[in-house]
Amino acid sequence: MTWELFAVFIGSSVRLAVPLLLSSTGELVSERAGVLNMSLEGMMLTAAFAAAVGAWATGNPLLGLAIGIASALPVALLQAWLSNTLRANQIVTGIGINILVLGATTLAYREVFGARSREQIPGLDKWAPPGLRDVPIFGPAVFEQVWLLYAGLLVIVAVAIVLRYTSIGIALSACGADPRVVDKAGLSVVRIRYGAVLFTGFMAGIAGSFLSIGDIHTFTEGMTSGAGYLAIAAVIFGNWKLGPTLGACLLFGAATALQFQLPAMGVNVPNALLIMLPYVLALVAVGGLVGRQTAPAALTLPFIRAG
Amino acid sequence: MTVSGEAPLLELRGLTKRFGDLVALDSIDLAIRPGEVHCLLGENGAGKSTLCNLVFGVHSPDAGEMILAGSPHRPAGPADALRRGVAMVHQHFSLVGGMTVVDNLMLGRESGWLRRGEYAARVSAIASEFGLKVPPAARVDDLSVGERQRVEIVKCLMRQPRLLVLDEPTAVLLPEEIDALLAVCRRVVASGCAVVLVTHKLAEIKRVADRVTVLRGGRVVAVSDTPSRDIDVLVRAMIQRDLDRLEGAVLGVETAASSAEDVRGHAQVPAAAAPARAQSARLEGVRVVDPAGAVRLEDFTLAIGSGEIVGLAGVEGNGQTELGDVIAGLTTPAAGRYIVAGKDVTGSSPRELTAAGVGVVPQDRHAVGCIAGMSVAHNLFLNRLGRFARSGLMREDALLDEAHVLMRRFDVRAAGPHARFSTLSGGNQQKAVLARELSIDNLVFLLAAQPTRGLDVGAVESVYKLIRAACDSGVGVLLISSELDELIAVADRIVVLYRGRVMGERPAAPAQRTAIGAMMAGHA
Amino acid sequence: MPDGVPSNAGGGAARSAGGAARGARWRRWLASPTVISTAAAIAFAVAAGLALIALTGAQVGEAVAAFIDGAFGSAYAVAASINRATSLALVGIGFVLADRANLTNVGGEGQIAVGGMAATAAALYGGVAGLPLGLSFILPLTAAVLAGGLWGGIAGVLKLKAGTNEVISTLLLDFIAIWLVYWSVQSEALLRQPMTHSSTLPESLEIPDPTKLPIITGDPGVPLHIGLILAAVLAVLIAVVLSKSLFGLWLRAVGLNPTAARRAGISYGGVVGAALAIAGAFGGLAGGIMLLGEQYVLKSGFSSGYGFDGLVVGLLARGSVGGVIAGALFFGFLRSGGINMEMVAAVPSAVVLVIQGLIVVTLAGAAYWTRSRSAA
Repeated sequence: MTWELFAVFIGSSVRLAVPLLLSSTGELVSERAGVLNMSLEGMMLTAAFAAAVGAWATGNPLLGLAIGIASALPVALLQAWLSNTLRANQIVTGIGINILVLGATTLAYREVFGARSREQIPGLDKWAPPGLRDVPIFGPAVFEQVWLLYAGLLVIVAVAIVLRYTSIGIALSACGADPRVVDKAGLSVVRIRYGAVLFTGFMAGIAGSFLSIGDIHTFTEGMTSGAGYLAIAAVIFGNWKLGPTLGACLLFGAATALQFQLPAMGVNVPNALLIMLPYVLALVAVGGLVGRQTAPAALTLPFIRAG
Repeated sequence: MTVSGEAPLLELRGLTKRFGDLVALDSIDLAIRPGEVHCLLGENGAGKSTLCNLVFGVHSPDAGEMILAGSPHRPAGPADALRRGVAMVHQHFSLVGGMTVVDNLMLGRESGWLRRGEYAARVSAIASEFGLKVPPAARVDDLSVGERQRVEIVKCLMRQPRLLVLDEPTAVLLPEEIDALLAVCRRVVASGCAVVLVTHKLAEIKRVADRVTVLRGGRVVAVSDTPSRDIDVLVRAMIQRDLDRLEGAVLGVETAASSAEDVRGHAQVPAAAAPARAQSARLEGVRVVDPAGAVRLEDFTLAIGSGEIVGLAGVEGNGQTELGDVIAGLTTPAAGRYIVAGKDVTGSSPRELTAAGVGVVPQDRHAVGCIAGMSVAHNLFLNRLGRFARSGLMREDALLDEAHVLMRRFDVRAAGPHARFSTLSGGNQQKAVLARELSIDNLVFLLAAQPTRGLDVGAVESVYKLIRAACDSGVGVLLISSELDELIAVADRIVVLYRGRVMGERPAAPAQRTAIGAMMAGHA
Repeated sequence: MPDGVPSNAGGGAARSAGGAARGARWRRWLASPTVISTAAAIAFAVAAGLALIALTGAQVGEAVAAFIDGAFGSAYAVAASINRATSLALVGIGFVLADRANLTNVGGEGQIAVGGMAATAAALYGGVAGLPLGLSFILPLTAAVLAGGLWGGIAGVLKLKAGTNEVISTLLLDFIAIWLVYWSVQSEALLRQPMTHSSTLPESLEIPDPTKLPIITGDPGVPLHIGLILAAVLAVLIAVVLSKSLFGLWLRAVGLNPTAARRAGISYGGVVGAALAIAGAFGGLAGGIMLLGEQYVLKSGFSSGYGFDGLVVGLLARGSVGGVIAGALFFGFLRSGGINMEMVAAVPSAVVLVIQGLIVVTLAGAAYWTRSRSAA
């Protein structure tokens, strides 16, 4: 394999990993606080649709992005209300929201775009950090990405810092580990969890918007096609730590990129196996075959103050 | 009433607290002086924890008042109590295992940017001021129980409290750690803060108490300004149960047989002659280590003869739970043997042990002894449901009929065998669990752990009648209880468990009460 | 009535009182929080759906007519709806069985997929086409059951060995299975039909006629296949197992209190493993029926949401097999009506998805109120 091909491979891996990197970071925050959002898929799909329609209607991709992010928040709020206030089963409600969103976006899409399924939409531009762009061979291929990735990376770094170095960060982690202790310390577990889920919605909004107006500049029905579930798998694979989770996302992105890379290299592996690979890897991790899994103890358990 | 002229730091007047029908505290009068170590002494259920919870704001009193440094003390909750200068270290710690000590201490106290280095320095400063060794950067999960307790104490001390309450702190400590803790108490009071130490261990009282108040049945029954001198009085005050409460059960037991001697006559065989009688069960050199590596049972050896009731006395937490798990087949000992009716059953599963004739009444019957959501009948036969299955299908009518029979035999009162188990009273639930275990085929050995906890006098009497009836038919019984008087009334001999080892053995006679009590507290 | 026969005291009076009591029980059931909230949720969701249809500019009346036509309009429609309901019911029954032991099987989609694959493979290449006595379709169905059971069993093994939450493991297995099907119809070495042409579709050959499930009505215009009978029999069987069998008691014990069950000598590992494997087997069977009874050709994505729909049916049934049947019929007819509504009235069947999603979310949220009502 030539260096050029390798560079393209790295670049594709990163590009395909972007929605995962963003949404899994958001989901990690929620799960660290003890809430599981199966509706991550639904949040992303909502944003993908809203961003596409927004960009198309206003002609401005930035406005589209804003609309996309804003649209994911009510979905997250609904999930937060169901999980934290009504204390409903988080898996049931998550799947229910996904079904609802799939139906609603498909319906709305047909309404707005009719039969035109490949309408071109104004999309976001690519960008590369000035110095890195000029790196020989690797420069353009790897670093020329939709600028949203770099913005997203800034957010991810901020999340890492907040989690480790601020009071809200440790309170969040404590909510997932032992919410009673947080409650005894005088903090509101429910409020922290609401905030966490809304943040997940925010990140899912960015990720979903990236899918439609960042990457392929169009919307297709159900275009998230399991990315939300894959992001959840990445969090589990990463054992609920940010670094390994991001690594898992890149791994999944690379596995997907192989679909295009291997044929280009003349290696013929059935596409399905490569698509399957991220899920198999996640299953291996969940099965405890890559070290002990330490999920937040209170994950999926609604908090009820005893006595 | 204070002896010296000092104004009390905390005064309780006529403090009363009820939980439903249960009167946990009955018109308590108590005074804590500043700068003193005040021990609250009493058995389980005497009201010590309730009193602390009232002072700390977890509950509010139904009557009476609390006065802290001259002004009324009515905390709206623990956070409020902390603000007023009352801090408490509970038996169950409030720490997040996966976080470091420093992070745990900062939780809810610091906001915004965390300056761990600075905070750690502050923590170390306070810790060393009081003689506590606390590793700020360590993960709580990696700390021993004693170290975790120290973290909790530091957490309190950082609030600069006026009153520090420690609820049974030594229950979970090793001897060296107890020494260290008592030294810390002296340092704390030297700084002006008063310490309330809730305990039932006499050794600690002798070493560190300035004053002692004894609680029993929710009432203050003794107060002493010179604890070391008054130890015997205090012990007697602590463990003597209100005779009215136990009268029914104890007298019932004694009059059921023609005389006390008769009841235990056949069992007065001294240990040396034991081989003459068949052994229903024997544990030899059993050693149990918990997942964290702590040794819970060490070299535990005990033989229970057929038809004998052996009482195992001891404060909870000294290895009873682990012993129960070994006997039930849920834990395989790290070393040692478990023999039932001559057959080695070490490491057998619960099902195999039931087949071997072992019955277990667990101490936490609500949680693990029964399935509250299922019917009485199902619970009565939970360990042998297969008996009623023909080609896979349950013969519910046969089940109900046999349940009916069992309920009548063991006096389990319920709306019917189909009634949901959770609708039964505590006493009837316990009788049901007993019924299940006592009706095991070829029963040779029964373990009953805390069988009368939470039961009224009538139920206590029934339970012991049933147990003794089983004995009379040759079953060997190991009775684990922290109610010493009940053991003395019912058992033939009493073995004391302390820190996972057999501390000693005495005949179960009232005259032995003080000696046994001392052994329970760690005195040989 | 003879005295001294306590259990039959007042027999005659008891019998007519029993009749009145039964009527009262029915009324109480109708007024129970579960039924009311389910009815309310469905009503709300349907109303929302109709509002959406109106918003799309379509004629609500026309849409509803097309819907009803597609669901019940002809014998063909009814047969198709019932066939759909059959597959949904099987997945739902498997779900309910595992749920009795407090295990949540989200793997319906994947279990259908592997079941369908196994059935197709056996039908096409298993040499069964010539067998007598119905073995030509019974054996492929058995293959489907075994494949599904294996797939569910994987989750069971992971749970017992590593404590893996079965929700996550079955979900991941869904995706893996779906892509396995995709792979199998892409590759001629596997199940893809020989590529005689560059545009030959990636699907399997059509299964031979003897391996197709017989049609009960005998009329190909009303293609109600024996899957219905199979599902009905299994529904009764499982209902009996759950309510009257020893295994059913074990499931319940493990689900309510695994610790107490273990102490009582019930095998936790055996029960959990069996429950997940059986749930998987039901999913596999559903897949086999879909292939051998309706589709006849293995295509990628043939499970198209049946797994999740079956899961929803199982969730909403709240542990009762009767509830599964009712829910499966409801969703089966809903699906058929939706498809026709799209074809005839040009209203996207996505409306049906919206209705389904709303029902699930509303009911799950409403548990907040119904839960506190039915205490302990």
